[in-house]
Amino acid sequence: MTSATVDDPNVHLEDPDLIGRRWRTGVRLLIFADASFVAALLFSYLYLRGLNTENAWLRPGQATAPIGVSWLIAAGVVLSAVAFRWALRSIEAGAESRFVAGALLALGVLVIDIVGQVLQLMNFPFGVEDSAYSSAMYTLAGANLVHLLLTAFLGVAMWNRGRLHIYSATSFWQVRLVSLWWSWVSLAAVLSAFTTSFIAGPHTGG
Amino acid sequence: MSEAVMQHGAIAPPTGGRLMRRLNLGTAVAGGLVGGYLFWLVAHHFLQTDEPNTSDQVVTLTLLGWAIGFLVGIGAFHGPWSWLMGHDQSHEDETFLAGKEQGIGRYFRFTTDHKVVGIQYLVITMFLLAVGGTLAMMIRTNLIRPDSGFLSPQTYNAVVGLHGLTMIIATIIMVTGPFGNFIVPIMIGARDMAFPRLNALSLWLLVAFVPVLFSAAFLGGIPTGWSGYAPLSDQAPPGMDAYLMAIIIFAVSSAIAGANITTTILSMRARGMTWNRTPIFVWGTMASVGLAIPAFPMFMASMVLLGVDRTVEGQFYVASGGGSPWLYANLFWLMGHPEVYVIVLPAVAAIMELTPVFARKPIFNYNAAVLAIVGIVGLSIMVWAHHMYASGWAPDLNGSFMLTTELISIPTGVLFLVLIGTIWRGRIWTTLPMMATYAVLWNFIIGGVTGIYLSDVPADYDLHGSLFVTAHFHYTLMGAGLTGAIGALAYWFPKMTGRTLNARAGFTSFWLVQIGFNVTFLGMFAAGLAGQPRRVVHYDSVFGAANLVSSVGAYVIGLGMLVLLYAVVSSWRHGATAPANPWGAKTLEWTVPNPIPLANFEVLPVVIADPYGYGEGDGPLFVPLPPSREDDEAETPDGGGRAGKHAVLAGPDAPRIVKEEES
Amino acid sequence: MSADLIRDEELPFGNPLGQRVRRWTRRREVRGVLMLWVVLTVLLVLFSFVPARIMGVPASPTKQAVEDTMTVFTLAASPVAALVWAVAIYSVIGWRQRGPGPPTEDGPAIRNHGLTTVLWVGLSSVLCLFLLIWGIAETQAVASSSTGPLVVNVTGQQWVWTFSYPRQGDIETDQLYLPVNQPVVFHVKSDDVVHSFWVVQMGIKVDANPGQVTQATVTPTRLGTFDVRCAELCGLLHADMETSVHVVSAQDFQSWLRSNGTGG
Repeated sequence: MTSATVDDPNVHLEDPDLIGRRWRTGVRLLIFADASFVAALLFSYLYLRGLNTENAWLRPGQATAPIGVSWLIAAGVVLSAVAFRWALRSIEAGAESRFVAGALLALGVLVIDIVGQVLQLMNFPFGVEDSAYSSAMYTLAGANLVHLLLTAFLGVAMWNRGRLHIYSATSFWQVRLVSLWWSWVSLAAVLSAFTTSFIAGPHTGG
Repeated sequence: MSEAVMQHGAIAPPTGGRLMRRLNLGTAVAGGLVGGYLFWLVAHHFLQTDEPNTSDQVVTLTLLGWAIGFLVGIGAFHGPWSWLMGHDQSHEDETFLAGKEQGIGRYFRFTTDHKVVGIQYLVITMFLLAVGGTLAMMIRTNLIRPDSGFLSPQTYNAVVGLHGLTMIIATIIMVTGPFGNFIVPIMIGARDMAFPRLNALSLWLLVAFVPVLFSAAFLGGIPTGWSGYAPLSDQAPPGMDAYLMAIIIFAVSSAIAGANITTTILSMRARGMTWNRTPIFVWGTMASVGLAIPAFPMFMASMVLLGVDRTVEGQFYVASGGGSPWLYANLFWLMGHPEVYVIVLPAVAAIMELTPVFARKPIFNYNAAVLAIVGIVGLSIMVWAHHMYASGWAPDLNGSFMLTTELISIPTGVLFLVLIGTIWRGRIWTTLPMMATYAVLWNFIIGGVTGIYLSDVPADYDLHGSLFVTAHFHYTLMGAGLTGAIGALAYWFPKMTGRTLNARAGFTSFWLVQIGFNVTFLGMFAAGLAGQPRRVVHYDSVFGAANLVSSVGAYVIGLGMLVLLYAVVSSWRHGATAPANPWGAKTLEWTVPNPIPLANFEVLPVVIADPYGYGEGDGPLFVPLPPSREDDEAETPDGGGRAGKHAVLAGPDAPRIVKEEES
Repeated sequence: MSADLIRDEELPFGNPLGQRVRRWTRRREVRGVLMLWVVLTVLLVLFSFVPARIMGVPASPTKQAVEDTMTVFTLAASPVAALVWAVAIYSVIGWRQRGPGPPTEDGPAIRNHGLTTVLWVGLSSVLCLFLLIWGIAETQAVASSSTGPLVVNVTGQQWVWTFSYPRQGDIETDQLYLPVNQPVVFHVKSDDVVHSFWVVQMGIKVDANPGQVTQATVTPTRLGTFDVRCAELCGLLHADMETSVHVVSAQDFQSWLRSNGTGG
């Protein structure tokens, strides 16, 4: 969206679809970078679990985090992503008020989820320094929280800008992008919950 | 050039920009200092001061405050905040951000014009090379005698580490930063990059990163070398916190830059620039940043884990807590190997781009060059553990990594074929850029062959961790990488500055640097073969001769680089005005006049041939079509998009293009 | 067409392909490059023996194999490097434009030469295959058997090496003694950070990691005193983390054991 100024009477905007496609490529690439980061964290969890160096992946007798909580948080993100997808469909069809409602709903579910994530972090039955497993749980939860906060910013922007009638059936490419990002964040949360469901390693115990 | 662009229309004083008008490097530094101080206050107040990792927590938070404050001060959050509030940029705002009519001030602001960003990257690169080079002189001075005592062990280790990281960052950005930003958009026939604001953001993140990196020197240094191996990095002084924060900032900057450059090349090539008419430098740049996008987040992750270990006693790299140094090594080298191709590919691609110009011949087997680049990218993500043969992490996998590593020699060999095929029977014009080609042909052979020795597992068991390795990677990253970058600078200097680079000084610098370089690192190969480990502050007297030779060579390099600095600075300021196309080259950037108009092209070109038609007659490379409404929405046949060539937001007071007084 | 080309005439002998090759080799530039290539190859071949000389006399078959590898790989690389450099050097002699300005005309529009590309890629693949096979064979050859070898535990810690002989009464020492011609396996670990156990003249190296035990095997075949160095930056006194390995006769080794510990 650079300001290309040409002394030309036929000045007009770049086609929104074109801009949208360009931005979508960029967002996909940024998601690729973020996915690499998430993959590195998940790899760290699984690799240390497999190595079980000095039998200390879990401290003897250590309490582990309830798996269900992570899945619940992931489910929350997925739900908010679905709600936002509904909002996207609404604006595609030109239903502005439904879009605003959908964005607000998605944001609301996300905020509840953020609270849940913070609660998980505050209530782990172990300290970050207890074991490699503990450190990894805190780190993965913290990374997820960062994801959620970034997404909340986008959610607020979507709701606010929708409220100000900025989006329409012919110009909603930014909404598509936010939905793409939102889906990625929910996928990352699911992957994280899945990975951390495997606690005791193949060599743990004994 | 047509009349339209020569018109001197009414020059309105720059309007627009709102808050951004008042923000610049000065306010950014002020913001950073305020942010750092505030975070320091909070951290200092709330954290227990007797815990062992309190200082790490304080340092990390302070540096985070610096980075956030700096970004606030340069106005990086202004755009996102305005967007959130629903106030989109007006045409005046965008024009102001693009640096229109702001003279030299626009280089110190959050400017979106890719040409400004390119120059900013060039200056930062030169600065980093100067600092890294000075640190290298300190290393070689210390090593001129077996036990000189010039530097204490702690200082020496810190100097080695900072030299390494400074040079790694400098070489990562040295081609894609200045030339990927300045040249590539023009070379593909676009008006700017895909995401101009993100372009400025990636640049200013890099500026914010520099003081964070060097603050390590004042926080006890780093004891680990640039590779930051754990668990030594866990027990290191607070300089290590500066190191990890610096890398996290840099990783964000490079991810954004990578997405920007890749999207630009994918979607903004001019109409008619199909993939097989795309200049080879564009391919090399895209390959490099495409590789960087998945690679650097791995490093960032390793640093986040290190941060957890250091600030809250995490156990990621602590064996007694279930952690493992092999985790760090894997994450680091998953970045570290692709990273060397991130460094080398654009430099060699620049050499492949300029050699046809100075041999007056088409590039030899363009398709093979492209396939070789793609092959190198693909293989480079499968070789990382050749840095870990001796670590013991997976001895059974060593053979597999030897296989993938030795396979890389095949596409790399093709790059040599392309270069000597291009030179074969050419009309050789021995300019400074062309000399860089010859230097690369010499240095990269030595670097590549010594890499093959190291890829052999039993040989690596002996050579790993010795100066042989150091000499090998200097031959590739400096002998091919930096030399290629210098060639690129000599080649594109007239286009980027509008001046001619002082040839005498340039050639003097070239010979000093290249001769000094070979003396330094051939001597270093000998020391490594004889058994000297790397990163040692003193050494056995049996290595004395080799080290003395290396150190003398290093001073010659230093002298040569100073001459180059002099040549660049003096030519930039007082050099003869350069014609628009002094080399008679055929790529699109040479068709725009100096100084380059803000929007690069008055009319976007439509490409009808590749830029290597030397010896094939003088047909036009492109045809400028008159602007028409339909053209805007048209897509190129292969799906490559077009940047709209008409102004954004019309209006009776829409600014006209004026002849730029200053490029 | 360049005046240097032999005119397209039938040569009075040989088959058509042979005639074409002979015509090609009579071209000025081909002869120039070939001559340079031969000279450079000879120089590089002579140079190929230098790395092994610098590495010194090997104290084990492992090191010998490494030195052989260095020599063979340099020999194999010599014609390749020589070719690239021959073309580069010839180009500034035979194809250079005189005078300061740009060339007055373009070169020939050679965009590709299929045979050259195929030959180049084919030969480099063959070379690569050779290097791989060599490497694999070399790895097998230096793998010592681990039945009945001498076992030495190596501990690296900032910034010293200590050794113990678990099968000889757990003697601990900071001077490594080994009997000649007997395979030894080192079990290596670290008490703190990552170090790297490098027996320089025997050509073996393995990292010393905290929390893991790694392994290296070698058979010392020369009597003498050799260097043990740390090859991974491990902090302040990394450069001081050296010691010696003494390879002695079997009898001397036994007497050393007796004088140093509880048994032999």
